[in-house]
Amino acid sequence: MSVAQSQLPREKELDKVILKFQDKPGLLLGILEEIQNLNPQKYLPIEVLEYVSQKTDIPLSRIYSVVTFYAFFNLKPQGKHSIIICRGTACHTRRSKNLLEYLKTMLNLQEDESQEGEKLFLTTADNKFTLRTVACFGQCALAPVVEIDGKIYSHMTENKLKEIVKRVAAGRKL
Amino acid sequence: MKITNYDSLQKVKVEGLKKYLPSKTRIAVGMGTCGIGNGADLVMAAFSRELKKKKIDAHLTKTGCFGFCSQEPLVNVHIPGQPLVIFNKVSPREVKDIVSALGKGFLPEKKALCKIESWDNLTGEVVNFGAGYPQIPLWNEIEFFKYQKKIVLRDCGLINPEDIEEYIAVGGYSSLQKVLGGVSPEQVIEEVKISKLRGRGGAGFPTGRKWELMKNVPGDVKYVICNADEGDPGAYMNRNEIESSPHMLIEGMSIGAYAMAAQSGVVYIRAEYPLAVARLKHAIAEAREYGFLGKNIFGTGFNFDLELVEGAGAFVCGEETALIASIEGKAGRPRPRPPFPAQSGLWGKPTNINNVETWCNIPVIIAKGGAWFTQTGTPASAGTKVFSLVGKVKNTGLVELPLGAPLQTLVYNIGGGTGTNKKVKAMQSGGPSGGCIPVELFNTPVDYESLAELGAIMGSGGMVVMDDDNCMVDVARYFTEFTTSESCGKCTPCREGLFQSLKILKNITQGKAALEDVPKLKDLGEIIKDTALCQLGQTAPNPVLTTLKYFKDEYDEHIQAGKCRSGVCPELFISPCENSCPLHMNIPGFLMLLKANDLNQAFESIYQDNPFPASSGPQGRYRPAGIPG
Repeated sequence: MSVAQSQLPREKELDKVILKFQDKPGLLLGILEEIQNLNPQKYLPIEVLEYVSQKTDIPLSRIYSVVTFYAFFNLKPQGKHSIIICRGTACHTRRSKNLLEYLKTMLNLQEDESQEGEKLFLTTADNKFTLRTVACFGQCALAPVVEIDGKIYSHMTENKLKEIVKRVAAGRKL
Repeated sequence: MKITNYDSLQKVKVEGLKKYLPSKTRIAVGMGTCGIGNGADLVMAAFSRELKKKKIDAHLTKTGCFGFCSQEPLVNVHIPGQPLVIFNKVSPREVKDIVSALGKGFLPEKKALCKIESWDNLTGEVVNFGAGYPQIPLWNEIEFFKYQKKIVLRDCGLINPEDIEEYIAVGGYSSLQKVLGGVSPEQVIEEVKISKLRGRGGAGFPTGRKWELMKNVPGDVKYVICNADEGDPGAYMNRNEIESSPHMLIEGMSIGAYAMAAQSGVVYIRAEYPLAVARLKHAIAEAREYGFLGKNIFGTGFNFDLELVEGAGAFVCGEETALIASIEGKAGRPRPRPPFPAQSGLWGKPTNINNVETWCNIPVIIAKGGAWFTQTGTPASAGTKVFSLVGKVKNTGLVELPLGAPLQTLVYNIGGGTGTNKKVKAMQSGGPSGGCIPVELFNTPVDYESLAELGAIMGSGGMVVMDDDNCMVDVARYFTEFTTSESCGKCTPCREGLFQSLKILKNITQGKAALEDVPKLKDLGEIIKDTALCQLGQTAPNPVLTTLKYFKDEYDEHIQAGKCRSGVCPELFISPCENSCPLHMNIPGFLMLLKANDLNQAFESIYQDNPFPASSGPQGRYRPAGIPG
């Protein structure tokens, strides 16, 4: 099965990415990272994985194993805005967990108990926000840090976080 | 311009020096990730605007990070013939003051952090900036830098990381030229062996021996790999090294490739470090353009090229066999060793893997000699190590210390303690593979063996300071949560053992555990240590085992008294103020009554718990935000 007709121009894009990484080390990771970044919803639909498998002769099972192994890849669409709370040690000692709990309450997100030990990944019902954590941004000197839509905010507090999230939700400039 | 010999390298060096030491004022804004996170981009824009407005002809450029992260944004200004002056916490407002003073031909001394009169980049001649400004302290006179020795960070925060010519200006690529110009691979390895350099990724294996093992394996195709998958939470040295001077890594790897007869190399770097990735990509392109990577390097027939692979967020990929699997496009699961990568690594070929910092030491060892390198550090641990000093410490930043310096120097002299009225309780070294060292043992020298003796490890160099507000059971739980979710699942001890440990730890933090759970936790940890397949599993119990060893009273308190003295475990107390009060007075209740304006009842409620409120009041440690202690 190939990518649906309506998405044909994307097939061209996919080919370009696949060609770029041909015969290079780290080919599969590189291809998947770049393709996911091309998708405005930052995820890898199964059709795309099938297409990559066809083109690269890598079994779909292995591609699926790679996608589910690494934290970077998503199989589900991401919310319009991404909020990533750093859970590194320095951030933890400066209580980043409270920020996480605060946001969960603020955005009305519930964690699925069955996912214990898995990485946190929650999207609001209106698809506006995706909340996740990262092992460490390496911004430890500025702890606690939170990344919102690709920008890192340092020395974060609950009040600051509230303000920024409100602004983002209202589509205002930061 | 392609550089083919010593003369053409010297020509570029002259060009580079024109940018590094121009005949006009040079202003360099620290644009590492930390700097930008503190507003360095705004400072840069302000300089550009102000200089134009005042019509001052200066060379405005960017640099990496000088290491003092808590004082970012850092800006260094050099007027020809005068010392290089470093300004800290520069705001766009202060840019105005600096530029307007510059217009009058001087610098605002009062705003300066320190000055540098001369600097030894170690790979070239000593750079003399100039003398002057008696009021400003020298950089190595201030506490944060006083104990440091910058060998790895020799160029960081000084040169422009996006300009290969500035790297060449301070002696960059001269070690590669020296080696290719007539040092045999055996001699290179011998020099690295003499230097006693050990792997800076954490395990501390002697680098020279590792190289020799690889060299002696027959084979036409060999690989060198740089492990830049700095996954330890709390550590960011490698990020900074690449952001601030990416060419030292490329040069180190090229020299290693020559010594071990490898033709290609891979840098495996975390995707969470976008700026480091971008700067390294740029540097690799520059190195190709100048002929330091590619075919026939320095006209000697030596071929070597480098590719960059971005990791995708898996901690276990820092383990070398998992890292290789990841480059090969598989899930990053470790495999048993032997065979070691030197025998069968990437695509089954002999492969050498070293950490970023290990590679970055190589150009200096070649330039200065192995014997020079051993003058720093201890007999068993030569050289320096870069640490990221973070957590509950006043002066956060990157610190490069000679190995063997005691922990207290790091925490108190350099870090300045917590900077609050809280006391330091412990230091966590080595991330999820390391351990917690209590304050009583801070006279321990920081070297591979001493830290291992305490049950911690040096690791990649993350040093997280903890104070009274940090609960050590919670710390153990935090790391076990991390390693449980990062376990690749291949071997049972790690996958199941950590999961069970986490269960017990959660119970303890929620007041649901029994005293028998503590020995169980210890047994589990020891079994995982002995039986897990890879380093991740074998070291994962360290945070639990060290906290059990040094902070057992906190475990007991959680279990027996249902108390978390630091006020971290939410299930064990009503409110932080009640928890920190020695009499456990019902403070929230008092506040509610006060809010309802029921003063009599509020007054009564105090006397229910405490007949002497005025004298015992100051005992409570907790102060809500906004209320002065």
